[in-house]
Amino acid sequence: MKFDSLTEEHLDALREVSNIGVAHAATALSQLIGRSISLQVPKVLMTEITKVPEAFGGAEKIVVGIYLQMLGDARGNILIVLPRESALKLLSRLLPREKSEGALLTELEISALKEVGNILASAYLNALGTLMHKTLIPSVPVLSFDMAGAVIDYVLIELGEVGDLALVVETEFFGEDEKINGQFFLLPDPDSLKIILNAIGVSL
Amino acid sequence: MSRILSVGISEFRVAAAPSILMTYGLGSCVGIALYDPVALTGSLAHTLLPAPVRFQDDGGRSAKFTCWAVDLMVEELGKCGCAIDRLVAKLAGGATMFEPRHRTTHGGIGERNVTAAREALERCGIPLVAEDTGGDYGRSLEFNTATGIIMVRALQRPIKQL
Repeated sequence: MKFDSLTEEHLDALREVSNIGVAHAATALSQLIGRSISLQVPKVLMTEITKVPEAFGGAEKIVVGIYLQMLGDARGNILIVLPRESALKLLSRLLPREKSEGALLTELEISALKEVGNILASAYLNALGTLMHKTLIPSVPVLSFDMAGAVIDYVLIELGEVGDLALVVETEFFGEDEKINGQFFLLPDPDSLKIILNAIGVSL
Repeated sequence: MSRILSVGISEFRVAAAPSILMTYGLGSCVGIALYDPVALTGSLAHTLLPAPVRFQDDGGRSAKFTCWAVDLMVEELGKCGCAIDRLVAKLAGGATMFEPRHRTTHGGIGERNVTAAREALERCGIPLVAEDTGGDYGRSLEFNTATGIIMVRALQRPIKQL
C-alpha cells in the first residue's frame, strides 16, 4: 500500500494507538529516572521524505539518535531523537557524570542511552502489540551522536525505496522540573502499516 | 552579496557565482558536486539511494537516486551554458552512521551510494577531482560557485576543504 491512500480516519486511529503506546513508554522512563515524565499527544504526520529533517528541528541540530527496528508481525523503524542537552540531563539522572570537557559521550553513557531507547521502544511496542493482538519486538538498539540530518537519513533510505512519503508518529516528552524533551518516531514499512490498520479495525 | 541556496534530500540545484550551494547533514546520503570552472557555474545534489530496487517511482527520474543524479545535473548545467568536457566532480558523504549491526538490512548503503556516484561520473566522462567519503559521521557541505571549493563541516572535526 501507499501512504498517500491514507484517510483522516486512518490517521486518527493511528494517533489513538500511538497515544497508548507512548503513555506506556513515558511511564517506563519515569520509573527508570525516578521522576515524572509527561508527554504530548502524539502527532501522526504524513510528510515528504525530503521534509523529515525539518521535523527534527533542522538538519544540523546536534542530537542523540537511538535507532531500533520493529520486528515481529509488523516491521518498521523506530527512531528516538534526543537533543544533546536533554540526553545529558537524562544521563545525569542515570549515571554519576563527571563534568567532562569534551562533548563526546563515553562508552558507559552510550550504553545507558541505548538502554533508555530499549525501554522506551519495548514499552511502546508492547502496548501497541497487546492492542493489536500481535507480537512486536524491538531489535537491539544502535546509537549515533551527530547532526540530525545525518542520523535520520539512514532510516529514510529504507522508506525511500518504496516511495516519497513517510508516516511519522511523533511525540515529545517533558520532565517535571527540568526540561528533558525528545521525540519518538515510528516509521512503519508500508506493508506493515496495512497490517497495523487491519489489526486496529480500520481496514483500507 | 552571495546568495545561499540550500539543497534538500533527493534534490539538486544549479547555481552560478557568486552563489553558494549548501546541503546539511549528509549521513549515508552522498553529496555530488559538479563544477564548470570557466562558466563559474556548479550543481550540487543530495542523493538518498544508489538505484531503484523495485518497480517504483513511475514519476520518472529524480535526484533521489545517485545513478540518475549526475545525468540530471549535466543536463541542467548544459542548459545553463556549461560545457560538459569542462566539468569536474567532487564527492562527500556516504558514511555509515550506526554500528554495522544493522548493516545486513541496508548493505552498507553509504558505500554503495559512493560507488554508484563514481560509476555515474565515469559513464558521463566527468573526472572526480576530490572526495571526502565514508567514516561514521555526518557532514554539511558549502559549495562556493565562485571558486569551486567545497567546505566540509562535521561535528567535532576540523573543517575540510575539497
